Amino acid sequence: MSGALADVRVLDITGPIGHYAGRLLADLGADVIKVEPPGGDPARLYRPSLPGVEAPEAGLQFLLLNANKRGAVLDLEEARGRAALLRLVAGADVVLESWRPHEARALRLTDADLREANPRLVHASVTGFGLSGPHAEWAYADIVGVASSGVMNLAGFPGGPPESLPDHQGYHCASLDAAAGTLTALLHRDLGGPGQLVEVSMQEALSIAQETALQNYDIRDTVLERLGEASQVNPMNLPGFGLYECAEGMVYIMTTGTAGAGFAGLVEMMDEHGQAGDLKGEPHWSFIQTQMDGANLRRLLTDEESREETQRFLDHLEELVTAFMRAHPARYIYEEGQRRRVLVGLIATPTDISSDPHLAAREWFLEIEDAARGRSLRYPGFPFRLQATPATLRRPAPLLGEHTGEVLAEAGLEPDEIAALEVTA
Amino acid sequence: MTAPPAAKPLAGVKVLDLSWFGAGPIAGRALAAAGADVIKVETVKRIDGLRAMAPRPRGARGYNLSGYFNNYNANKRSVTIDLTTERGHELGLILVRWADVMLTNMTNRAVTQVGMGWETVSRENPRLVAVYMPMMGTTGPHRDFQGFGAMLTAICGMNYLAGFAENRPVGVGTNYPDYVVNPMHAYIATLAALRHARATGEGQMIDVSQDESSVAAMSMPLFVHDNGGGAYVRAGNRVPYAAPHGAYRTRDTTDRSDRWVALACLDEGQWRTLAAEICGHPEWTEDARFLTVADRLSSQDELDPLIAAWAAGQEGEELVRRLQGAGIPAGLVQNAREVLEDRHLRERGYFVQLEHAEAGLRWYDGPGWRMSESPVGLDRAAPMLGEHTFEVALDLLDLSADEIADLVAEGVLQ
Repeated sequence: MSGALADVRVLDITGPIGHYAGRLLADLGADVIKVEPPGGDPARLYRPSLPGVEAPEAGLQFLLLNANKRGAVLDLEEARGRAALLRLVAGADVVLESWRPHEARALRLTDADLREANPRLVHASVTGFGLSGPHAEWAYADIVGVASSGVMNLAGFPGGPPESLPDHQGYHCASLDAAAGTLTALLHRDLGGPGQLVEVSMQEALSIAQETALQNYDIRDTVLERLGEASQVNPMNLPGFGLYECAEGMVYIMTTGTAGAGFAGLVEMMDEHGQAGDLKGEPHWSFIQTQMDGANLRRLLTDEESREETQRFLDHLEELVTAFMRAHPARYIYEEGQRRRVLVGLIATPTDISSDPHLAAREWFLEIEDAARGRSLRYPGFPFRLQATPATLRRPAPLLGEHTGEVLAEAGLEPDEIAALEVTA
Repeated sequence: MTAPPAAKPLAGVKVLDLSWFGAGPIAGRALAAAGADVIKVETVKRIDGLRAMAPRPRGARGYNLSGYFNNYNANKRSVTIDLTTERGHELGLILVRWADVMLTNMTNRAVTQVGMGWETVSRENPRLVAVYMPMMGTTGPHRDFQGFGAMLTAICGMNYLAGFAENRPVGVGTNYPDYVVNPMHAYIATLAALRHARATGEGQMIDVSQDESSVAAMSMPLFVHDNGGGAYVRAGNRVPYAAPHGAYRTRDTTDRSDRWVALACLDEGQWRTLAAEICGHPEWTEDARFLTVADRLSSQDELDPLIAAWAAGQEGEELVRRLQGAGIPAGLVQNAREVLEDRHLRERGYFVQLEHAEAGLRWYDGPGWRMSESPVGLDRAAPMLGEHTFEVALDLLDLSADEIADLVAEGVLQ
């Protein structure tokens, strides 16, 4: 037993929207039991799969987000399965689930039902739209949360389709808030606070990621739309800001501003390669050193008198920066630029991240032997490092029903009761 | 008589917030919404960049008007102390001893400049939970790399996979990891450490590398890559396990053009209902190209145009009602006005209006979760720069009015 939550027991009855919440608590040391229906969680069958392993044990999304958990199968639609779950609830600190209100009612596992089994319970509900309001019963999927929260409207190109975010950001944000709310309630309970219901709506969890869209509407009556190559913080698509093609790969840079070495730092780097053109000469160099922040450039570009000359100069800069970038590999621009405090980010592929020297030096990746699946697996590391109570990867994702008997025995069920439940499941 | 409001869950928790821009302040905001007393220490010398950013009312200037800053710093107190001065640093250390949590997303270099590294603060306060969130973490060869959220979307692999293959990987239009992923990872780690500190008296350092935190939330393509599951490619709004899955443009109406509906068929029942009942094409369910989810995934280039052509004749809001009525996950792609006016969010009271002395009555995002017995939420607008310097100097720093005046004259307090 280790970790800050080593004394916490969690029942994770969620579908894919809540898997990450359970995983986060498990990483911090909690004993998390993934309770699945007969046939298993739907994500077990999601592609892509681990090669050489049969369903339902091969779905990589399930493996990723359910590592560190034990697994039990219970048929909650059946009276004995439900009764067994309530026995587990009685001994748990936390229940995480993702039922819409009518689903919880149909199972007779509402907040009141769970609380009757355990008044001290922290019960976290994570759904698409929350438990109240006209859309509480709406069916949800990750993309529906991203769409209804306003976040999707900001991603994409003008006139083109809105773009959802890769790798389930709706589910992740909902899960993050569910884990955060759960810990908040637990901490409060430690000091004598009550057990209670924590409620997360994916739509609400994502809304704060609209950046300034809400405030632009509220303060300026302006509805922000997707801008493609530009961005909300760089709507004029200034040189030295945004995406550049390199000899190998691409970078995203943010040099038109006051942070780091700024655009001048980029010009110094170009100059070292003899690619700064006339930019180190006057009057250009003085302008670059003092005038290249976004607000000032916007002012110069909207002023009648300075507009044309400024635009001509910015076009000239853009041409030189573009040529410089095309002449060097992206990783070089990234690492050498950052060494000079020029704000450069690599457009990283999974291969880049997998072999990233910084992550390697920090020993971020984790290896675990998954004996049941006959191989070792390489897991991404943790999102945080707690010096005194570090997160740990202690076990691979459970096989379907792998710990049903063990978990029910711990809850005090008799061997014949367990055997009957295992047959039903 | 009405009962007094229930205590917030983190009432009594004291937070020294040395963060700026997005990810750090939003973690502090979440702690403040849950009831912690969060004191944000700022300086005029190096102002929080968000204070200087849009949107502000047309023609207005000043550090207290940015909607960007104000939304992300609600419920905090603001104190202006120049920590780079000797006296300012001493005052900062008083707050370190006062605090349960110290939070910063400054670069390692800037943390050193203000003298708030772990060695220093842990000596002052051994039960302190100190959270450092530099972009690449506190160690490693790239520890001094710096940037903003839109660069993190690049570094964490999000740009590479976001959007449609025919477009360049420009990202997702915002500094996305700043707003939920990185602040909430920090929040979760902080609460776990606070729990440990309460049980044992032992504080600790937390290193939230925003690089690692962002990659952790983009880790499925990486996990697949590293374990022989194949390569992810940029696929627009598609996912590898369900089809149809995407956003479809619906008919223009008098009050709205460019209206898109997002929908997903996550199981066979939803697909059959969509094809036969909603679209009115029962023959699609018997089409050899679309029989199973595997068939539909490999025939998406044929299936998507059929759905798109059909959706183009539908009215968006009515379509969402019909899809949801049939149990199919669907929603409008809403813009910010529609989100603010969303009937469901309104009824739930998600957005809150708060009065601010300079910015006036403005809308703020509510908390990311609700609690039934000890409610979380915002009570007051973001602080003006240094709004609480005087009260904190009197109450917490134990300074007299004369001393405060001297320190203001010296520029230590501002």
